[in-house]
Amino acid sequence: MSTAAEKPRSLSWRQFRAILRKDIVMELRTKEMVTSMGIYALLTMVVYQVALSQASEAFDPREIASGLLWLAFIFTSMLGLNRSLVHEKDQGCLEALLLSPVDRPVIFFAKAIGNLVFLGIVEMLTIPIFAFLFLQGSGYAGDWWMIPLVLAAGSLGIAGVGTLLATMSVNTKGKDFVLAVLMVPLMYPLLLAAVSATTTAVLGGADATTPFWQAMALIAGYDGIMLVASYGLYEFVVGA
Amino acid sequence: MKQLKIALVLLLIGGVLTTVAFFMAFFTAEVQRFGTVKLDEPVTYQNEAGETITSAFPFQIVTQETTAAPSAEASGAASVDTTGTASAETTVAAPQFEYGKPWFSQKIFYFHVPVAEASFLVLLLSAYFGIRFLTTRRKEYDTKSRIAMETALVFVVLTMITGVLWTKASWNQWWDWEPRLTTYFIMMLLMVAYFVLRNSSEDEERRAVYAGAFAVIAAIDAPISFFITRLLPSNHPVVFKSGMATSNLLPFIVAQIGMLMIGYAIYVVRMHEERMRERLEVVKDALED
Amino acid sequence: MGEDCTEIAVEVRELTRTFGVRKALDRVSFDLPKGAFLSIFGPNGAGKTTLVHVLTTLTAPSSGTATICGLDVVEGAVELRSRIGLISHNPLLYPDLSALENLEFFADMYGVQDAADRVRELLVAVELDHRRLDLVRTFSRGMLQRLSIARALLHHPDVLFLDEPYSGLDPHAMEIFDSLIAQIREDHTFVMISHDLSKGLELCSHALILARGKVVLSEARSEIDEERFVATYRSTVGTGVS
Repeated sequence: MSTAAEKPRSLSWRQFRAILRKDIVMELRTKEMVTSMGIYALLTMVVYQVALSQASEAFDPREIASGLLWLAFIFTSMLGLNRSLVHEKDQGCLEALLLSPVDRPVIFFAKAIGNLVFLGIVEMLTIPIFAFLFLQGSGYAGDWWMIPLVLAAGSLGIAGVGTLLATMSVNTKGKDFVLAVLMVPLMYPLLLAAVSATTTAVLGGADATTPFWQAMALIAGYDGIMLVASYGLYEFVVGA
Repeated sequence: MKQLKIALVLLLIGGVLTTVAFFMAFFTAEVQRFGTVKLDEPVTYQNEAGETITSAFPFQIVTQETTAAPSAEASGAASVDTTGTASAETTVAAPQFEYGKPWFSQKIFYFHVPVAEASFLVLLLSAYFGIRFLTTRRKEYDTKSRIAMETALVFVVLTMITGVLWTKASWNQWWDWEPRLTTYFIMMLLMVAYFVLRNSSEDEERRAVYAGAFAVIAAIDAPISFFITRLLPSNHPVVFKSGMATSNLLPFIVAQIGMLMIGYAIYVVRMHEERMRERLEVVKDALED
Repeated sequence: MGEDCTEIAVEVRELTRTFGVRKALDRVSFDLPKGAFLSIFGPNGAGKTTLVHVLTTLTAPSSGTATICGLDVVEGAVELRSRIGLISHNPLLYPDLSALENLEFFADMYGVQDAADRVRELLVAVELDHRRLDLVRTFSRGMLQRLSIARALLHHPDVLFLDEPYSGLDPHAMEIFDSLIAQIREDHTFVMISHDLSKGLELCSHALILARGKVVLSEARSEIDEERFVATYRSTVGTGVS
């Protein structure tokens, strides 16, 4: 009778790929998340323009550029996280997932990686636009790989913790608001370190390497601890 | 009822201890001159009597607008601005300890730090009960976790208020985005978020699970904030870098014990109230049958 | 694999589920032989959904035990899940995937072997093969329900749970649904939650009435005196926790 003859590990891998593929196929079809996140990011740029419109000529936009960028990322990411879980919740699909013989961490990793991918796409779209709009004529002092490294490490934290939080907030009244309330304070240390690392990378200078790696170490520490915590708590949260 | 009595006694003792600590702070404790701590190296300076003193508490030298400046020049000191402690090598000759206000602002330390520490302990307690709830699914642990979080919130708000008062007195501004202050601000937001989460989940058990999980992750996040801000340059006094004088330590410990007692008393009183409420519900249910 | 479903498909002993002072389930006990069809009746808040959640491993019991095909709902949860299927009033399908993609996805989740053949076979069985490439969001309620039967049967479950499967179906869709259930009636054990007394009694071989978490009545269909049964059911309505 039974069909679960596959070895547990290969089954988990198959389930992981299935969830990830399903999220990507659905996104390619509807383009809901990437368009809404992208447009939101563009709107943020307009607001930035207004905010910076009274700045003096001497003002160096590079000093606050990374802060503005991460601000855009954190808010657009919330939009995407919320959508990604609303999909599961809509027709009770999450219940169907939980009914299948899947280990809960597999769901966590698949959803988190999916969110990471979408966040990455939005970041790759936002950065050139941001640079085009605000940073023309400004130099970039760091090595080319520095920014992608910070982005990857920072987004990993956002996607991991965000997936846990969105799984909770999607079951509450006022989903988006609750997600923002939970997410921003939890993300504070990550944002602080990520902005610090990005700024050192942008501004460069002779002694920029040490603070850069210091900030990167902090991001890595945050990612490590918070991802393990989210992974551990996910099983309780997703089944509730 | 017995528990309530214990709580009231604790509240009384805690209150007395805190008050005693308060008076001790004024009448027996030495004045500690906490200043900015941007340095790892002790600063060497000369006091009014001309002795050379090495201290782990670099001074924030308050130059009074009109009177202090000339005297500083007169004694041949290098002109020092308020942020003049930035360099580890600073040797201040004959600094002017002319603080704009009496040093009473420092006394808030005996209230501020114990409250801050107590708030953190209570947050950990809440997370502990959160884990207990998640593993056992017994409602009483959820209640305990929630009450602990309430108590923690009260303490964090007290910390914020005392902190802001101190900031005003010492740095002459109400708020400064100084990392440690910010950390407490973030902690307060986390606790507010905890209650927002609770209030917006409708299902009773789901609410408890989410709250437990969030209490745990908030308690993990708070020390990370603490740690990360410590690694960045900060203006906040670090107290225990070189220890305190006994006359200072004593009121501090007394205040700390008093504060923990008050915290526990609040916790017990609220728990008692919750138990009564639950019993009421049992009675209501029984009446319905 | 674990034990086979030979004699007893579902065994519930003193099952209790509490949270604080609320008792969603209060010492529920019953047995269900293999191949039986159990209908669970009861007013809203009687604990029907909680009972099914416990039996489908979505919720852990506070005390007592429940086994399905000899597998405990707590210890054998992961293995048990591949032995049960759920057909709910919610279709539990992704609206932005096609019928084929939905079934392929769940075949992956259950680790079904030769998934393509199995999916095709089921699509033909529920007469949706011609619509297999269409998005599920374009389907009517009846088609959704047929597809969700296919989804529930993908992994050859032993026990099927039906959670108010008729709500929202028009009479025609109900007929098709009934005939599909009749086709698989022989090889499966069923547990159904229903509000609809006549429908539930028509299908079932065993019936159970829950009220306020307690079993009020548990009988085989053959022993049921319909008038008394209806009267008992009526008396429980209104005792539910609002």
